[in-house]
Amino acid sequence: MFRTDEIIKASKLPPEGVAMSRKIDYIYFIPILFVTIVGTFHMHTALLCGDWDFWLDWKDRQWWPIVTPVTLITFCAALQYYNWVNYRQPFGATLCILALGAGKWIAVYTSWWWWSNYPPNFVMPATAIPGALVLDIVLLLTRNWTLTAVIGAWMFAALFYPSNWPIFAYSHTPIVVDGALLSWADYMGFMYVRTGTPEYIRMIEVGSLRTFGGHSTMISAFFSAFASSLMYILWWQFGKIFCTSYFYLTDDRQRTTKVYDVFAYATLGPQGDKAKLSGGKA
Amino acid sequence: MTAKHVFKLWMIRLCGVVTLAATPALDITPAFAHGERSQEPFLRMRTVNWYDTEWVGKSTKVNDVTELKGKFHLSEDWPRAVVKPTRTFINVGSPSSVFVRLSSKVNGTPMFVSGPMEIGRDYEYIIKLKARLPGHHHIHPMFAVKEAGPIAGPGGWMDITGRYEDFTNPIKTLTNETFDSETMGSMTGIMWHVWWIALGIFWVGYFAIRPMYLIRARVLAAYGDEILLDPVDRKVGAAVLILTLVVVVVGYMAAESKHPIQVPLQAGEAKIKPMPIKPNPLTVDVIHAEYDVPGRALRMVLHATNNGTQPVTIGEFTTAGIRFTNKFGASRVDPNYPAELVAAAGLTMDNEAAIQPGQTVDIKIESKDVLWEVQRLVDILHDPDQRFAGLLMSWTDSGERLINPVWAPVLPVFTRLGA
Repeated sequence: MFRTDEIIKASKLPPEGVAMSRKIDYIYFIPILFVTIVGTFHMHTALLCGDWDFWLDWKDRQWWPIVTPVTLITFCAALQYYNWVNYRQPFGATLCILALGAGKWIAVYTSWWWWSNYPPNFVMPATAIPGALVLDIVLLLTRNWTLTAVIGAWMFAALFYPSNWPIFAYSHTPIVVDGALLSWADYMGFMYVRTGTPEYIRMIEVGSLRTFGGHSTMISAFFSAFASSLMYILWWQFGKIFCTSYFYLTDDRQRTTKVYDVFAYATLGPQGDKAKLSGGKA
Repeated sequence: MTAKHVFKLWMIRLCGVVTLAATPALDITPAFAHGERSQEPFLRMRTVNWYDTEWVGKSTKVNDVTELKGKFHLSEDWPRAVVKPTRTFINVGSPSSVFVRLSSKVNGTPMFVSGPMEIGRDYEYIIKLKARLPGHHHIHPMFAVKEAGPIAGPGGWMDITGRYEDFTNPIKTLTNETFDSETMGSMTGIMWHVWWIALGIFWVGYFAIRPMYLIRARVLAAYGDEILLDPVDRKVGAAVLILTLVVVVVGYMAAESKHPIQVPLQAGEAKIKPMPIKPNPLTVDVIHAEYDVPGRALRMVLHATNNGTQPVTIGEFTTAGIRFTNKFGASRVDPNYPAELVAAAGLTMDNEAAIQPGQTVDIKIESKDVLWEVQRLVDILHDPDQRFAGLLMSWTDSGERLINPVWAPVLPVFTRLGA
């Protein structure tokens, strides 16, 4: 079904090497890569769009669909670079968002429920997995990161609101308390006391993205898609900066060359008498 | 690695293990307070002057409804270092949401969102609370000012008995549905998350069952990506793409049809009128004020005139939620007010006699108690603007209470009188 045998054969690794590479896959993939993303990406998200993601009463039509995808696409783009350029693996974004989700759900039940006693529905995180899947698949199908930045990143942001609506639609149900109209989400935010987070902290429904007869979500999603596209390009380049390996080769005529083929390191290394290796990020 | 190194390494490890093992055996007690004493004195004395604070129903059962209520005066001596209260919110200082706040009214107006308040005016708040988490909880009213932060009021203890498992909070919506705040939406949300996580794991797992990194990197470097890009992957990718889009669209439409009536989050502003200004026949000015550091006493010289028709007797000076009373004022203190915030004999005057109608007097008044130290108000010496403010309370013969805000610069005295 797959080209696995063909790929293994082309790698020219002995059976022991193949077995070892799989062990490295397992050790690196879950305990190192995944856990590292959980830690770093979860912190990055908490700092940049944390309140919109934590609280039910922050999930508005204007800022939530802008801030969250723009924040989330960052690591996705960088990890897509790493996975795609080095291995042609199209799951960087999905892996990122899955790791983020693991961190979020750990936080929901440890930080928010066990420690702070807020019910899970009040701190229900949003999902970005549909957008991440689309982002990965667009990269797989187009094999082109520029097209992914235009099509995939736009869809990543545009899908955010509709894919979360089944989770949060109920929270916009109207309710009247003491003669005042509130959404259920507003009242949840009011009922569950947050001592250090007064109501005015909420950054919701403020701004000038308003036209089309009050359909501000559409405008927010459009703007978010545009910003996500730019953010994707920026973070793809970050991925390139941090994931590019090279070394310097000084030959017997004392000419120094920057070599990007890291596999050549092993070949050139033993020829120490003819060529000296120096510096680099091999 | 020598034996010495090995020994050192194991000793360090042993110390770590012993520390971890010993930690639970230590006397670990929960922290009850909210750091109110760490707020600088000028924040607590010169912004919100709390009075008449009541913790109604100091012991409640889970699901019982109780109240936190009182009044406050926004000091005329509002510090320059603190942003003016143009956007404020009355909050509750509690260790997490031990109570669910059902409603909050300031001067009779619901305060679900923030709003401006006026310096120099008085406000009355009533916060309706529903007991949720059993325990012995320290509860404060709080006044939060945008860009200045929360300012804690006096803290009192409230007990909740019963079991959390019995807590329910069903509320009827405008669409005639009943939502329970503890559970509404949880299962739906979890179900959707489980579905998307499952699809995400499938997608990553689809590639993880085959060689993932090292082998592919070698092949890519040697031959390019033609071998690596398996046509099956593209077909599976296209299928997952279509499935994702279909589920998103169907899910969105289903949610829209299930909850057709929706309103956006309400982000308005509470418009709250201050309490009407009551005519006050007593006028009070502070001529001089000093803080006696070793004596833990704030001494003031007041210039007071009684323009009314009845004698007026001074009974209390309150600042930062702490009440200094003389014998006359002590009898008027609510017995339920936290004793740790009352200096019952902390107010002395050089002339305790009532101020007669038409009389103008200069009174030396001293509020003295260890509470200045305990509540860390002595730190006024470290404030960037050494002033104090508070409320002076006096009563007419007919029992009417008069409240006079007082404020002035305060000078420190570092030696005992006569020393």
